[in-house]
This record gives sequence, C-alpha cells and structure tokens, in this order.
Amino acid sequence: MLQQRNEKAFGYLYDNYSGALYGIVKSIVTDTEIANDVLQNVFVNIWRKIELYDAQKGRLFTWMLNIARNAAIDEVRSKGFRDSQKNQSLSENINFEGAVTAPAIEDVGLKKVLTKLKGELRVLVDMSYFQGFTHEEISKALDIPLGTVKTRIRSALTQLRTMIQ
Amino acid sequence: MNVQDYISSGIIESYVLGLASDEERIEFEQMCIQYPEVLSARNAFELALEKQAIENVITPSASIKNKIFEEIKVTVKEESQTLALAPVKKLNWAKYAAAASVVLLAGSLYFNLNLYNKNKTLQNNYDNTIAKLNDVEKDIQILQQNPNVKMASLKGMDVSPASYTTVYWDTTSQDVYLMINNLPKPASDKQYQLWAFLDGKPSDMGLIEITEKPLQLYRLKKAQAAQAFAITLEKKGRSDLSTPAGDVYVMGKL
Repeated sequence: MLQQRNEKAFGYLYDNYSGALYGIVKSIVTDTEIANDVLQNVFVNIWRKIELYDAQKGRLFTWMLNIARNAAIDEVRSKGFRDSQKNQSLSENINFEGAVTAPAIEDVGLKKVLTKLKGELRVLVDMSYFQGFTHEEISKALDIPLGTVKTRIRSALTQLRTMIQ
Repeated sequence: MNVQDYISSGIIESYVLGLASDEERIEFEQMCIQYPEVLSARNAFELALEKQAIENVITPSASIKNKIFEEIKVTVKEESQTLALAPVKKLNWAKYAAAASVVLLAGSLYFNLNLYNKNKTLQNNYDNTIAKLNDVEKDIQILQQNPNVKMASLKGMDVSPASYTTVYWDTTSQDVYLMINNLPKPASDKQYQLWAFLDGKPSDMGLIEITEKPLQLYRLKKAQAAQAFAITLEKKGRSDLSTPAGDVYVMGKL
C-alpha cells in the first residue's frame, strides 16, 4: 500500500511516527524552527524514497529513524544552521563542569537514556550518534586509540540496550 | 566465531543505530541471513528502540503536516502531468524521435564535457587537500608525541553545538596551537578570539585569522598557566581585547 504512494497510508504513518521522529530531531537540533524544517524534509524524503526501503534489512521505523538522524546531523553541520545564532555571553567566573561533558545533552528520548551512562562513554556516544563524528575523528579529537574508541562505543551501546529494554 | 559473542558485541546496536561501517554492515546482513538468532536479536533491539521512541514523543506543531502534504501533492501533480502529455507525442512519433535523438546527442556531449571538467577540478582539489592534510598530520604527530604537550577538546556551546576545536599547549615552550575541527565561518565584521582561563579569569590568547585550509593548525599567544580554554566571537576592531564580550562558541578544560 505504501509502495504505491498511498496518501492515506502516508497520513497514517505521519500520525503514528512524527512525534517519535521529531523527538530524535529535537535531540540533535535544539532550535524549534530549524527542527520543524528538518522534520518536514524527513517526511518528504520518506515519501519520495519509500521504494528504497528494504524490509529484510530492518523495521520501517528503524529506516525512518536513520533518515531523521542523518537529516538532523546534516542540518547541524550545514552553513544555514551555523549562521543562526542565539545570545549567550561569557561571564568572568564561568562554571566549566557542564562544558566538558557534552553540553547539548537534554532530557529527551534517547538522550535521557544516555545520561545514565558513565561520563566518558556518554561523551563517546554523544559524539558518534548525536553529533555524527566518525570513529577516526573521535580518536583524533580525544587522543584515544582508534581501537579503544571502537570497543568503548560498542560497550556503551550494549549498555544502552539493557537500559531501554 | 561464536554467534552469542557476536550478538553481544554491540554490532546489533551499531547496525540499527546507523553507526556501523560499510564492512560491518555487509557482514551483519550476511549473519542475519545465516543465523536466525542474530536476526531475532536485531528485531528485539529494533522493537525496544521503537517502543522507547514512542514513549518519548514530542508532538510537532500541526502546521507541519499540512506543509508536508502540500509538498508531496506538488510532486504527484508533476508526475501525472508528464503522463498526460505522453499520448500527444505518439501522433508524430518519427519526427519526435528524430528530434529527440538530436537533442539527446547534444545533451550527452555537453554532459560528458561538463563531467570531464568537473572531474579534473575535483582531482586537483583532492591532491591539494591531501598535501595539506599530510602537513597538518605531521604537525599534530609532533605535538602528540611530545609528553609536555597538554590537550584540551573545546566543545560547542548552545550557540553552535556542532562546533568543535582542539587546543594543544606545550607546557615547556608555552606555545599554544589551535586546531579548528568545526567552527562556523564568521560574518565579515566578526572575528574569533581565544581565551585561556586561570581560576575562572580569562586572558586574551589572540585573535584567530581563519583561513580556508581544512584542519589548519593556528599558533597563538604563549600561555604561562591555564586550566581551560574558550573561543568567543567578537566584533572586529575592538580597542580593548582584554575581556570577552561576545558569544562563547566552544569551551573545554585541560
């Protein structure tokens, strides 16, 4: 039914999944207006690319979740997002505690689960899943060997699984 | 390989969350076909993830749905219009076919030429970038191998969460190097400034002259002591550079 671009089915899809996909978009893009644009693009892309969905490779929701995450990360890394600015000034006595462990973490969805991970693992998952850095980039930036980055992220992800089950 | 070990290695989560490498993905898809237990473990995680996401919905504003439907209706209309035109073409098919083949040939020539030029430019850009990257990597290696060099990862603040820079500070020579991993291009009347913090007090480490080179290593003012670094975006041509006034873009401890 979906494969024939049935609008009714698409409406159903939107009603059932827009909130969940908006959740992941909002955990990456904090600005509401930009997040709205990203969500709009995500659903237009789902509509256009639905023929590419392969049920053998996973659930439809997983496929849509990955489209949403990729779109949000692309937006954050694109120029338009960088130009939009909010005000934040630097006081002389600043508290660094929040700044060192990923500052963008908020209490939504998967990010809330993420806060249960211990500090270092949380930073690794945040950088790779929510900020889209490759293992190589993380290894270089944090000065941790590539193999260690990989095993730690894997171990963090298995912990995440037990947390959401 | 033990299938249970494979299942609990984190590969399932990496694959489902889109973090697996191409190689890992191909291997995982093979394993799913070969071992039903891998497939059912994948299903279980996908279901848990979906359930978790459904429990944490953020309802978007109702206007978005309308916008999406307007946009997809436009694409449907375009498709049906081209379909409606098709029978008209058939009436004079020989003429149209001849005309079309000429247009196609011209188009393909133009397309090829264009591709060739694009390819050449890309190759040049690629060579240049690789050369620059090698230089930077050499510098970074020298810094990283020096035990006296301390490193601080400066992470993006709310104004620009994706921003990311790294500071290398040689505690013996007191030299400070900055690598810009990701920082938005400033407006023409703005400029980034680096700050070192000691006991919460900022001191000016110099203005950053951003170049177009990727992963450029910038050398800034020497620092005698520092516990943390930050970068702010300031107006160009400020007379007093000793205190920060603009937005903080990135920040991090040593």
